[in-house]
Amino acid sequence: MRSGVWSDKEWECIKSEIPVLDRTVNGKRLVYLDNAASTLKAKSVIDKMADFYLYHYSNIHRAVHTLASEATMAYEQAREKIGRFLNAQLGEVVFTSGTTMGINLLVNSFVRSGLLREGDVVLLTQVEHHANLVPWLRASKFHGFRIEYIQADEKGVILKEAIEKATSVKPKVVSITAQSNVTGQELPLNFVREAFPNAILIIDGAQLIPHKKIDVKALDIDFLVFSAHKMLGPTGVGVLYGKRELLERMEPFLYGGEMIDRVTFEDATFNVPPYKFEAGTPHIAGVVGFGYTLELLENLDLEKIEKQVEILSRYLIDSLSRLDFLELYGPLDDSHRSLVSFNVQGVHPHDVSHVLDQMFGVATRSGHHCAQPLMSILKRGSKIDFPNSTVRASVYFYNTFDDIDTLVEGLKFVRKMFSE
Amino acid sequence: MIYSEFIMDYSKLKKFVGKIENATKVEEGKNLSCGDEVTLYLLLDGNRIVDAKFEGHGCTISQASTNVMIEQIIGKTKEEALELLRNAENMILGKEFNEKLLGPILNFYDVKNYPMRVKCFLLPWKTLEMALK
Ligand SMILES: Cc1ncc(COP(=O)(O)O)c(C=O)c1O
Repeated sequence: MRSGVWSDKEWECIKSEIPVLDRTVNGKRLVYLDNAASTLKAKSVIDKMADFYLYHYSNIHRAVHTLASEATMAYEQAREKIGRFLNAQLGEVVFTSGTTMGINLLVNSFVRSGLLREGDVVLLTQVEHHANLVPWLRASKFHGFRIEYIQADEKGVILKEAIEKATSVKPKVVSITAQSNVTGQELPLNFVREAFPNAILIIDGAQLIPHKKIDVKALDIDFLVFSAHKMLGPTGVGVLYGKRELLERMEPFLYGGEMIDRVTFEDATFNVPPYKFEAGTPHIAGVVGFGYTLELLENLDLEKIEKQVEILSRYLIDSLSRLDFLELYGPLDDSHRSLVSFNVQGVHPHDVSHVLDQMFGVATRSGHHCAQPLMSILKRGSKIDFPNSTVRASVYFYNTFDDIDTLVEGLKFVRKMFSE
Repeated sequence: MIYSEFIMDYSKLKKFVGKIENATKVEEGKNLSCGDEVTLYLLLDGNRIVDAKFEGHGCTISQASTNVMIEQIIGKTKEEALELLRNAENMILGKEFNEKLLGPILNFYDVKNYPMRVKCFLLPWKTLEMALK
């Protein structure tokens, strides 16, 4: 059964764009519920990338020949599309290799530019992905700034009271995820901005942006990072949005070709943003491909995608809530989106995922989801023998109610198999 | 499927679970991908492993593998245990190994087809390797 926002025609289009949906694994129809790790890819994007590579490709920005112009134009058109998508100016869209690089860029640039000094406070939440935790932690060891956390409750939920409470640490920088990749909670970004009106606000959009637009101007965000591969796009491509006046004040992260203004044997000055943050030859075809991806998503209609993910998330949460042998994590209310982490009582997550895959063709993720400290919080709140990890099922707009029903059937089987 | 009766049974074995208070060697092992941890206790008499136990959590594969490993190494010399380890590793990595030597460890042969589960199988063996080094 396929319910939700898609018309028959739209569904046909989606099916033809994502051919792997017709694949079988282990003799079963593939049910792909590992979208939070990375989404499936679209045929028209791959075809256009192939065409670009084969007929329009060369290095960008440097040469005057025709191929270089075509490639540069395609690359810069992708920047325009992403600028419009975020409601940002062109000079504010920096291409990176992904969310992880975006945050490393910011951390390193901040300490080099004096935007972060000894004694300053950086505020994170306890639900951050390692990508928005470890770079800060390590830099704090070398540069003497302090890390504080907005506390999560025992279900891993960030409550508004916890956000308010954290204002007392007076952070210079607040770097938080827009949506947890473990609890599925969408954080109240408006509320965070209001609570910290003077802090530099960095948003990790890796999980939210694929299914919900973020308007950087409306939310008054200083920096936003995300990855193309979690929204149908190629791997190795990400975006860093930064407010122009901040980018201008910042020291580059990587030095090399293309990012310079003037180089002598003594020193160098830099190009303007965004170029001063794009040293070396970037993933040209990947960026171009991401532009095509965004076009595809916009043609499908971003609002419909948001709605469909919302409908599927609700169905997923409700379906799993009915299984009394599961322990679910996260808020489970309307702020809970696109993914659910859970454990089957008495069965290790690797065993759950393995059997789901082998017997039902269902792809889920098991592990600590790059959030080890959060696992220790969930363990404290857990009423079962918590295995330090969870199973996670995550949906995207091409999933169906059928997919979730298959997951439920699989989980019942797992339960039975391991309780004998 | 890798969940044979043998593996399911051995995963639930309690015989080797616990501490050895006067252990000669205590070694902690970790599977970074899932946070599973095992603490291995070895009691050595000279060169010979006379007792072994373990504590910790893990999936069916790692628990069964730990139990079978302990059963097999008790009574063996360090060198014999290391020889077993080399063969068990070779088996799971798809290399050549001595079938006769491995005995019941052969029950894990199919695990080699699941790269993510190879780590589960190897967790106790890697821990043993560190302990005997
Ligand atoms: C919330 C969050 N932040 C950051 C990342 C890291 O993204 P990437 O691996 O694309 O750099 C992820 C990906 O799992 C994520 O879910």
